[in-house]
Amino acid sequence: MRRRAGVLAVVAVLLAIGLVWAAHRGPVVVPVIPRAPGHCVLPIGQMRRTHMMLLRAVRQEIVRHDARDTRFRISGCVACHAQDTPSGRPIPVNAPGQFCAVCHAYVGVHIDCFACHAAVPPSRRLVARLAGQGVEQVEFRIPQALRAQFAGGAVSGGGQ
Amino acid sequence: MTDEDREIQGAGAAGGEAGAPDAVRRRLLAMAGAAAALVLAPGVTVLARDLAVKGARGGRVRYGLLIDARACRTGCDACVRACQDYNGLSRDPGPDNAQWIRKVTITDPGTGFTRSFPVMCQHCADGACVDVCPTGASFRRPDGIVLVDKHRCIGCRYCLMACPYKARSFVGRNVTDQRPWAPRGKGTAEGCTLCVERVTAGDLPACVAACQRAGHKAMTFGNLHDPKSAIAVRLSEVATTTLRADLGMRPGVHYRGI
Repeated sequence: MRRRAGVLAVVAVLLAIGLVWAAHRGPVVVPVIPRAPGHCVLPIGQMRRTHMMLLRAVRQEIVRHDARDTRFRISGCVACHAQDTPSGRPIPVNAPGQFCAVCHAYVGVHIDCFACHAAVPPSRRLVARLAGQGVEQVEFRIPQALRAQFAGGAVSGGGQ
Repeated sequence: MTDEDREIQGAGAAGGEAGAPDAVRRRLLAMAGAAAALVLAPGVTVLARDLAVKGARGGRVRYGLLIDARACRTGCDACVRACQDYNGLSRDPGPDNAQWIRKVTITDPGTGFTRSFPVMCQHCADGACVDVCPTGASFRRPDGIVLVDKHRCIGCRYCLMACPYKARSFVGRNVTDQRPWAPRGKGTAEGCTLCVERVTAGDLPACVAACQRAGHKAMTFGNLHDPKSAIAVRLSEVATTTLRADLGMRPGVHYRGI
């Protein structure tokens, strides 16, 4: 009996130390992921688990086999998920706290996608200039068009 | 999707098997022409077009250019500027900055005969860049477009040395403001892509469109293997040449009047 009380006392002390330490550290920080309107191309859980594999598989198909109709282009992620500053300028998705960076920073993953790939959608000015030259870059158009296309797609999923 | 299209079927990446799509694709490629689709997740399929599709008249597709040096204006660089603008290249090409197309002026010292014309990747059938590439990054698509797969490029620059047209460039500095359709970054070789995503969408390459807009119409783009295409008709009617034809690399870019 006495021995049991002793164990309980030790546990209580350890718990108290842990609680004090946790309170000192502040709450556990989980990434706050910026949300995009409309539906993603897949259910959110599936995207969170498999986006890296999708992008990896698709990049082969796009570069070497010209599968340019796929919805899993990295430019599609950027088109929907790049946030705007209050003044309307797009923020790169790999900037601190932004869609790609926030989780990768949390789990300590280093990606170099955006050393080459654009981290912001093309500016409206550029899209307008190219449209003036007769270039139909439908999939890179202003994100709203893309969002509507994705929202109306056959893929059902969560609303991020 | 027509029967000429090919689908690649693979196991679901969604199942959490990281290596599965590659392995399955390899197996399916060995099946040579079997219909398949790459299933990336339940209900999600990527269709890869077979680029070696037969053209309207049964010939295989090979994209190429015909450049009429007689119509090309000395001092006009509309094609060069259009390329830089569309693909997000610097307007100030240098040793560590890429240049995909350039204007070249040739003069015969004996007669004074001068011509000005653009030179870019000649999209050879047997390109030296593809031969020398140690990683398979430099490759020729079945439709004749020669590209760098930058996911595989290690930046060794063998292709820069091997290309007799000096068509490849090396990106030696950090790049910002890339176009979404033209990813490019430090440490890889690159060259003219024949504006592959425009061509896929049925558009003309940026340089050809710019030349037409400028009113010179010195550049013709099309399928060399379709006898009814404008470029094939022209090539069958007039005397043309390819640059350094003696090297036997069979370029897809033809010149008239040089």
